[in-house]
Amino acid sequence: MNFGRWFTGLCIVLIAAEGFAVGLREEAPDFTLKSLEGSNLRLEEYRGQVVLINFWASWCGPCRQEMPVLDRLHHRYEDTGFAVLGVNVEGDPEMAREIVDKTHVTFPILLDDGQKVSELYSLEAMPSTVVIDRDGVIRYIHHGYKPGDEAKYVEVIKELIKE
Amino acid sequence: MQGIAIRTLIARRLAVVLLATMSVSAAGAAAESLDTEMEDVKKALLELKRDLVILEEDLLFPASSQVAVFLSMDLGEFFQLDAVTVKLNGKEVAHHLYTDKQVDALYRGGIQKLFIGNIKQGGNRITAFFTGRGPSGRDYRRATTVAFEKSFEPTFVELAISDSTAKYQPEFTSAVSN
Repeated sequence: MNFGRWFTGLCIVLIAAEGFAVGLREEAPDFTLKSLEGSNLRLEEYRGQVVLINFWASWCGPCRQEMPVLDRLHHRYEDTGFAVLGVNVEGDPEMAREIVDKTHVTFPILLDDGQKVSELYSLEAMPSTVVIDRDGVIRYIHHGYKPGDEAKYVEVIKELIKE
Repeated sequence: MQGIAIRTLIARRLAVVLLATMSVSAAGAAAESLDTEMEDVKKALLELKRDLVILEEDLLFPASSQVAVFLSMDLGEFFQLDAVTVKLNGKEVAHHLYTDKQVDALYRGGIQKLFIGNIKQGGNRITAFFTGRGPSGRDYRRATTVAFEKSFEPTFVELAISDSTAKYQPEFTSAVSN
């Protein structure tokens, strides 16, 4: 029974990993999305900075739990060339605004109207976090969130900032 | 004897210096030759890349069916561009959101290739929708439509946004060239 569960779990992990169309060490697909503030932001214009993209949805509890954590990271490291971009996969400004007001995050929130970017990054879990280095290459991918995961984010961010 | 020894010493030292200079020159010449070779290789690589891009375009978009849509801006005092959508024969083929940097590039004379694709020969219609902020910062949405006949030659459509100082309004025009 244990072996069966282990094997099933391994298959799920492998399939999920395979399903993530963008992979480590690949160039992050470029996109331009409208932000909640009204301006258009393009990923490629962040080249030269370490970027953490967090895909989230208003119905996702762990997403709401994670966002204030990401906001702290954004403030702590932004002067060293680090940026956080939140991508709301629902594309609904009203729902996104409601969550932003509750969580008081200040990093840019982008609206994925039409879910084109979500498809581009083939999201399989919510939230999903992608960390991109200064050359626009994906260096870390994380699915889901539970308290304590941010320790790994900090480790990755520090490593990439030093590069 | 002493004079001969000194002369010999000087001669020997001169020979050493000359040999060293020659070897440095040879090394320098070799290094220079390597630099030149590398530059040639880089230049050939760029030319190859250029040729590949052109070849790819010719293969994917042959002249007989190729249509390309470009966007340009003139001044832009009366209109802050936010997005453009292009429909070809009623079907959306391009949608682009503009960042401040991209708009600035257009103001400075940049021309953007919005779309390149294939269409049938004969009658076709392109409609472009422009969204942005107009005079007084109000939301602005305008469209321009151009009907044209597709010939066997590549067709280029230019969408231009300019300021009409007479009307204090932006103008959206389109022009087709074959």
